[in-house]
Amino acid sequence: MNITGFFENLLLGYQVAFTAANLLYCFVGVLVGTLIGVLPGIGPAGAISLLLPVTYGIKPVSAIIMLAGIYYGTQYGGSTTSILVNIPGEAASVVTCIDGYQMARQGRAGPALGIAAFGSFIAGTVGIITLMFLAEPLSNVALSFGPPEFFSLMILALTISTYLAHGSMIKALIMVALGIGLSQVGTDIISGRMRFTFGIIELQDGIGLVPLVMGLFGISEVLISLEESGEVTILKEKIKGLLPNLKDWMDSIRAIIRGTFLGFFLGILPGGGAVVASFVSYAVEKRFSKHPEKFGTGAIEGVAGPESANNSATSGAFIPLFVLGIPSNAVMALLLGALMIHGLQPGPLLIKENPEVFWGTVMSMYIGNVMLLILNLPLIGLWVRVLKVPYRILFPLILFFCVIGCYSLYTRAFDVFMMLIFGIIGYIFRKVKYEPAPLVLAFILGSLMENALGQSLLMFGGDLSLFITRPISASCLIVALMLLLGSIFSRKGRGVLAKIS
Amino acid sequence: MKRNFLEKDFISGFMWLVLGIGLCIGSIELNLGGLRHPGPGLLPFLSGAVLVLLGLVLMFSSISKGTEEEEVKVDEISLKGSWKKIFFTILALLGYIVLFEYLGFFFTTFFFLFFLFKFTESKKWLMPLVLSLFTVILSYLIFSVWLRCQFPRGIFNFF
Repeated sequence: MNITGFFENLLLGYQVAFTAANLLYCFVGVLVGTLIGVLPGIGPAGAISLLLPVTYGIKPVSAIIMLAGIYYGTQYGGSTTSILVNIPGEAASVVTCIDGYQMARQGRAGPALGIAAFGSFIAGTVGIITLMFLAEPLSNVALSFGPPEFFSLMILALTISTYLAHGSMIKALIMVALGIGLSQVGTDIISGRMRFTFGIIELQDGIGLVPLVMGLFGISEVLISLEESGEVTILKEKIKGLLPNLKDWMDSIRAIIRGTFLGFFLGILPGGGAVVASFVSYAVEKRFSKHPEKFGTGAIEGVAGPESANNSATSGAFIPLFVLGIPSNAVMALLLGALMIHGLQPGPLLIKENPEVFWGTVMSMYIGNVMLLILNLPLIGLWVRVLKVPYRILFPLILFFCVIGCYSLYTRAFDVFMMLIFGIIGYIFRKVKYEPAPLVLAFILGSLMENALGQSLLMFGGDLSLFITRPISASCLIVALMLLLGSIFSRKGRGVLAKIS
Repeated sequence: MKRNFLEKDFISGFMWLVLGIGLCIGSIELNLGGLRHPGPGLLPFLSGAVLVLLGLVLMFSSISKGTEEEEVKVDEISLKGSWKKIFFTILALLGYIVLFEYLGFFFTTFFFLFFLFKFTESKKWLMPLVLSLFTVILSYLIFSVWLRCQFPRGIFNFF
């Protein structure tokens, strides 16, 4: 790597991130992120779709800075709810409940919150540095990819996402097929023909990503939460001693380091992201621990590891987005949408052609992490107060914001209607144990895949064998096939996730 | 192990089968094209075919060995009396969407919030009233005045 060029880029990022406006956007992002993280029943995907229309009027880099802030901010906020209420504020904080809440019951809520925040900070920072060093060299590699490589890579991405899904792999594969099917609705760009629009004019532009995501993640989560009518009970004790002591640090530092690297790697994988990272980290810590019996009774490693992993996973998730222009999860898909709305072309050339966007965002993530540490430790009392707002007050407001966010995107009621339909579908899916995440990923990749497939076939003159004679494409397909076969022949292969969930 | 034809997985598998067949037929009508020149129906056809295949696998596995390792139990499905809440919430959302452009942002939002607040906290009147009014005015200031979002004014031409 060119060292002077690297420092020039750092300086560029510094100049972009440290303008008053971008500092403000970064702050708003992490503040909203923490709030969303603390509140159960609405996740980062919902929050980002809400704020997407708001970013239309501002510069692309500011928009990405703010939206990214929401994403990594939620990972900080989520742990607070898990520890204090035993309800995950965020899907990625589910495992934090196990030991975090036990610690809180033993009067050690302070150190639990403290180690979660410090672990997040360390992992976040290391993750950003890794992202910084890896993204540009990787994008140079990706420049040599043609349509066949992209197509096979996307096949691999979708396979991994089903492999990492919690429940049955068949159901996850069904979600992928359905997602690709849904992505085909609308006008076919090449032939100009209407596909599956059933004469509905609004469907000619296809199904909107925002209504789909907000329905499947926002509305359906609210509906699910309505079933659990039990009111939130927060620990009444005063939170004291947020700084973990030396023993706490000794116990958790290895977990933090392992969680950081594990999380970053899993974050890169499609469909993985923060949720899977936190689960795997917990399993790994339990396996490596000298006293695994302590897990579940308030082991601080059980908080430190997953909370670090989910943070570095958010940094890792930016790699496929910035390097390949392929989003690895729903949140990244929305960021991809934001880039495109602002006229930027995602792909291997993005970092070269718009260095200010990449380096500005990365720099802002450092600043954001410092802001988050301050927001989540000294100001923890504020978030505890937010938690006291009962859900019966909260859920009408969440629904209202979903409707407003969805409507203001194109100012048409049809999108809101679609959101409601996907909300009901998502609710039913959750009831019968179908995970919506692979569907959303497939929906996003669907049109990209169709282009790549079409171009490849034209390139090859219809000869499919070239998919397996080109080395990169072939290796992607082989790995995908192995994952598929592996899950058919040994169900235990996917045991890591099944065991703890 | 249950060997029940009314197994949830059996039903959903059947649904995917039907949907997949529909997708395939629709795709053939759209023109599949050839491998040299793929038509608009090619990818939808492939996804439909995968749905058919997986639907069959799901149905077959739910009959042959009970269900997947992760069986959906019938009692998990039952709504424990909370279906009313969910039903009325969906109804409220539907009403909100239908009336939004007709009555305008202010009135529909107010009624929507008031209904849900009142519905869940049914004894009091004042609290839901104040809360929904406060939210409407605040959100109007944020979205419409500050962020300049365009919202329908409705027949009352208000806000």
